[in-house]
Amino acid sequence: MLIQNKYHRYLNRTGWLFIIPALLFYAVFMLYPIFSSLFLVTQKWKGLTREFVGLGNFVRMFHDMIFWKALGHNFLFMFIQIPLMVFLAMIIAVVLNQGIRRFRGVFRTIYFLPCVTSLVAYSVLFRILLQTNGLLNNLMINLRIIPESIAWLNDPFWAKMTIIIALTWRWTGYNMVFFLVGLQNIDGEIYEAAEVDGASKKRQFLSITLPLLVPVILFSLVTSTNGTMQLFDEPNILTNEGGPANATMTAALYIYRQAFVLNSDFGYASALSYVMVLIAGVLAFIQIKVLGDKKS
Amino acid sequence: MIVRTRRLSISRVLLMTLFVLGAVISLFPFIWMLVGSTQNPNDVVRGSLRPGKEFLLNWEKINSTYNVLRFFFNSMKIALVTVALGIVVNSLAAFGFEKYRSKARDRVFGVLLLTLVVPQMAIVIPLFKQVAAMRMLNQHIAIILPSVMSVFIIFFLRQNFKMFPTEIMEAARVDGAAEGRIFFSIVIPSMKATFASASIYIFLAQWNSYLWPLMTILSDEVKTLPIAMSSVMRSYTIEYGGLMILVCISTFPILLLFLAMQRQFVQGLMGSIK
Repeated sequence: MLIQNKYHRYLNRTGWLFIIPALLFYAVFMLYPIFSSLFLVTQKWKGLTREFVGLGNFVRMFHDMIFWKALGHNFLFMFIQIPLMVFLAMIIAVVLNQGIRRFRGVFRTIYFLPCVTSLVAYSVLFRILLQTNGLLNNLMINLRIIPESIAWLNDPFWAKMTIIIALTWRWTGYNMVFFLVGLQNIDGEIYEAAEVDGASKKRQFLSITLPLLVPVILFSLVTSTNGTMQLFDEPNILTNEGGPANATMTAALYIYRQAFVLNSDFGYASALSYVMVLIAGVLAFIQIKVLGDKKS
Repeated sequence: MIVRTRRLSISRVLLMTLFVLGAVISLFPFIWMLVGSTQNPNDVVRGSLRPGKEFLLNWEKINSTYNVLRFFFNSMKIALVTVALGIVVNSLAAFGFEKYRSKARDRVFGVLLLTLVVPQMAIVIPLFKQVAAMRMLNQHIAIILPSVMSVFIIFFLRQNFKMFPTEIMEAARVDGAAEGRIFFSIVIPSMKATFASASIYIFLAQWNSYLWPLMTILSDEVKTLPIAMSSVMRSYTIEYGGLMILVCISTFPILLLFLAMQRQFVQGLMGSIK
């Protein structure tokens, strides 16, 4: 009994030894910053000096229309770009799985390739591609698709479209893979039975494939939501610091600019980032609810 | 019946055309960056697809202001060191959490998972102040150390360790193997695919990271490829040819890695999806 006890204590100690290095890193680079931000939010920086403002940063935040506009853009991209992309990814996967099976491997690889590029690299490429006198405009004018150049990067509406197009290029293939995995898990016999019963392809898709893909659709939506809430690289590089005139400003980019570009006001930036944590928390809660319900 | 087959084949051709078009759109930027790096800067913007003869000129021009190879080695060094440290620290933790379960450790794991929700932007503001206080700014260590421990990687590895049979560990203990030895000489060699996926994930995340290096790195000698690209993009007269070379250098190593290890790569990117 005594030996057994000693042995358990030994294993328990080993368990702690295994996780201690990770916990040290966690304490220094995660927990401490989180706690120190509680102090940061109460301060206001002016150059190198700072003063205590209590909840002043939060009051200021409520009157900061650019921040709310930026946050609105996050939701705009979320509600327009994500459904578009997830729908596209699903259609591609379904067709690859049934329509043109023979080239499935090749297409899958090619469609997946865009997400190999770094966010900065593809933002740079798209920025050059979409110049007013750039490649895409020239091509479309030559093919007579558009009568004159589109100001992709300089018009508030088209700049938003630019972000949407770029995101869709980068992430559709990535989401497609989720759907291909999901489709492989559907038993082929169901379709054979449906075929015998005389169900058309369209009918098969609506009554069999779609319902069985609901978990994948939700998963896809959830993972994309997180990325879109933190959108930073694309508006900073592709549309040049959230331009034109803040038309593509996002919450993360605005916070970064408050702390590093405009006023080096870390107190205010911290206060703004609390809003992001709050939203992320609410989204996570919804996601767990949605995904959890579907599993059971 | 004949009509049906014909209609089917027409729709097939249409479908095939659409898919080929999609493939062209997916591939185009890759081809364009290669072609662009050989062109005159004006041609890059105007968008000709004819390969130029100015690759060496572009290379020299960009190298007269920046040290392109330095950027590459900086990125590579940071990514590889992060992988090495990250794999050791996170796999040890994942193994500890999964195979030496206790109430206290399960609770600690719960706290870790909770912070998974906190967006990066919210962390980096206070983290910057702290890294500055630790006098690590403008050094690679500032990029490496904060990204070593990753709750996500611990979670991913832990899920995979669930599949490692505990009986084998017990058998090894009977044979007198120490706990550390069990991990290093039995567990790691038998889970190479899992470790490969996790390594690729860490490597990609670090190779591509932009926000945090943008905050902590200032001087040219320590810049990584993404920071270098954004610096060139911001310069007064943009060297488009040289920029395309940078884009190629940042993209093609990853592309080759992907083509060589598609399976692990996709698993690494997809993370914990099973």
